Amino acid sequence: MKRRTFLQFGAVGAAGTLTGVGGLLSWTPRARAATVSAVYYITDGYVAQPDGLNVYFKGYSGSSSSLAVPGAPLIAQEGDTLQITIVNTLNSDHSFVIDGMVDSSVIGAGQVQTVSFVAGSPGSYLFYDALNAPYNRLAGLHGGIAVMPAGSSNELYPGSPTFVQQSIWVMTEIDPAWNDRVRRGLTPDTTFTPRYFTINGRSMRVPGSADYGNPDIDSGYHPGTRLSGSIGDRTLVRILNAGMATHSVHFHANHVEWLARNGEIRPDIWKKDSLMLPNNRGSLDVIYPFEPPPDAHPAVTTGHYPMHLHDEMTQTAGGGLYQFGIATTIAFE
Amino acid sequence: MFSALKLKPIQMMHTGGGGGGNACYTYPDAPATPGLTTADVVFDRSAHMNGSITMDDGRTVRMWGFNTGGGGMGGGGMGGGGGPFPSPAMRVTEGQIVHTRLTAGMMNGTHTIHHHGIEPSTENDGVGHYSFDVNGTYTYQWKASHAGTYFYHCHTNTVLHAEMGMYGALIIDPPEGPGTLYSGGPTYDVEAVWACDEIDSSWHALSWTAGTCGGDVGLNDLNPDYFVITGVDGAQSALTDPGVAVTMNTGQRLLVRYICAGYLPQRIDFGGLTATVHMSDGRPLPNPIQVQSLEASSAERYDCIFQPGSPGIYEVTVEYLDWVSGETLGTARTRITVQ
Repeated sequence: MKRRTFLQFGAVGAAGTLTGVGGLLSWTPRARAATVSAVYYITDGYVAQPDGLNVYFKGYSGSSSSLAVPGAPLIAQEGDTLQITIVNTLNSDHSFVIDGMVDSSVIGAGQVQTVSFVAGSPGSYLFYDALNAPYNRLAGLHGGIAVMPAGSSNELYPGSPTFVQQSIWVMTEIDPAWNDRVRRGLTPDTTFTPRYFTINGRSMRVPGSADYGNPDIDSGYHPGTRLSGSIGDRTLVRILNAGMATHSVHFHANHVEWLARNGEIRPDIWKKDSLMLPNNRGSLDVIYPFEPPPDAHPAVTTGHYPMHLHDEMTQTAGGGLYQFGIATTIAFE
Repeated sequence: MFSALKLKPIQMMHTGGGGGGNACYTYPDAPATPGLTTADVVFDRSAHMNGSITMDDGRTVRMWGFNTGGGGMGGGGMGGGGGPFPSPAMRVTEGQIVHTRLTAGMMNGTHTIHHHGIEPSTENDGVGHYSFDVNGTYTYQWKASHAGTYFYHCHTNTVLHAEMGMYGALIIDPPEGPGTLYSGGPTYDVEAVWACDEIDSSWHALSWTAGTCGGDVGLNDLNPDYFVITGVDGAQSALTDPGVAVTMNTGQRLLVRYICAGYLPQRIDFGGLTATVHMSDGRPLPNPIQVQSLEASSAERYDCIFQPGSPGIYEVTVEYLDWVSGETLGTARTRITVQ
């Protein structure tokens, strides 16, 4: 390892113009396919967890001196050529894989490699390191990519229900003992027992706690994670599971429209308040409709509510600290 | 700002009952309900933290929950007495204005009621850190807009309090009343509510405040050793318990309201019977599906209609799955007997 950077959270925005502006993914459709470029630096360092423990991570980062977990999200449209340059600053082998789209194979220590590939079917995908599986992925080498239908700005797939804004949630679990074995170049030798749970690299904070309201740390305030909207601001949420555990995603205040699971379009659109998120690179695509909460009396159009996982172990940090896990705020503005 | 609600993060002291010790990041309050109006139906609930169930192996496991009553002096469970598991069901009719009047605090610590799947205003959603944890009496006011199967549970230190059993069924009937799943939906003659939950008895010695101020109390790691259906041990008792097992006649239509009330994924197998799933999470499916088994994750609900064509005894199994490996950690069983 060349460096040991102590960072609360790495800089996001690694991929420049490709990444979300103001948190939510922004996208302007094009009539024609284009070439989309990005650079990721594979770096390592430590991220402080809610109980203060500094845990080792590797990430697809925005510079050689930062650490980003997950990597900044990518967005492209079907048919685009993606040119992703990976700069491996570490002294271990890594890779860059999107299932069904690209596999860099081994990018050796200190090597730079550019992969070029065509963005496939519209949908939500995880990019990740497939080497030393699943340990490198769990140690932080993962991120999300959205592939839009060609020429469309408001659909998950051609003809899908439409949305007006979109976001990616990359969820994972962290067993610090596993991350520490990865740091030492060793294979984890204990049963996976996650102790921290993150959404887009952050976990929840609550009023009165340190870092409450800090968008770099508090997943309830991170603009790429928090859902904010007014009535009618239908929001596509691309939920990706980089971790090893199956979860249950629970939305308050509105049922979501369930469009896809593991990239497969659902034959019917069910309205759900709780949904199974499959483990090991599973995914869900849902639209949060931002409708007036239907059971309010008197009726309301504003309020603050949680999205949280209902497998409540994920709402803890370090074996306690309820509320400091995978959750965010849904703000009806 | 975060919310128009007054948030009061404080450290509070509790003594006696199940409270004991310091709590962090709770928000005790009992404000007036915004826009309080006359209700069509009222449920009074108070917390109890000294209930128990006896398992088939003879062991007694401590449980918490909600009692009926509690709105005034002498309410059940106020002093830390026992109470049922699961908590008493709520049943209302679509269109009704509902008051759920929760009395908490004092001996048993603060709690909330979140009506899971019901989508009211922030104040009435029962999530402590977005509004308040009830310290006194608060009236949750909400409107039952969609028929279907729901459940209610405590949302204070939820990881522990829901595991301890602080939940109960919540059913919204359509205007047609019980016997119809939803307006325009299927009818049924016989009904069962199967709330399937796993219990890690090692968590059941913890205090109300466990983990809230930090420290490792193991709430990241659930290792269940009992598997229940609607509060009855699924090892043996649920096979015959009249509150769980179903007896029906050939030609009748059975509605099973299946609630995944635990934290781990489940797989329910209907023993050879075919279920037609008409609703999930309180919403009709555009096209019902027919299945012989279902996988579900925490807090999902599936409403399943059965119409067996011939007599028989069908053994239903619920497997509780490890959230990482998917292996079966335990099984609960019950029966559908068709005469």
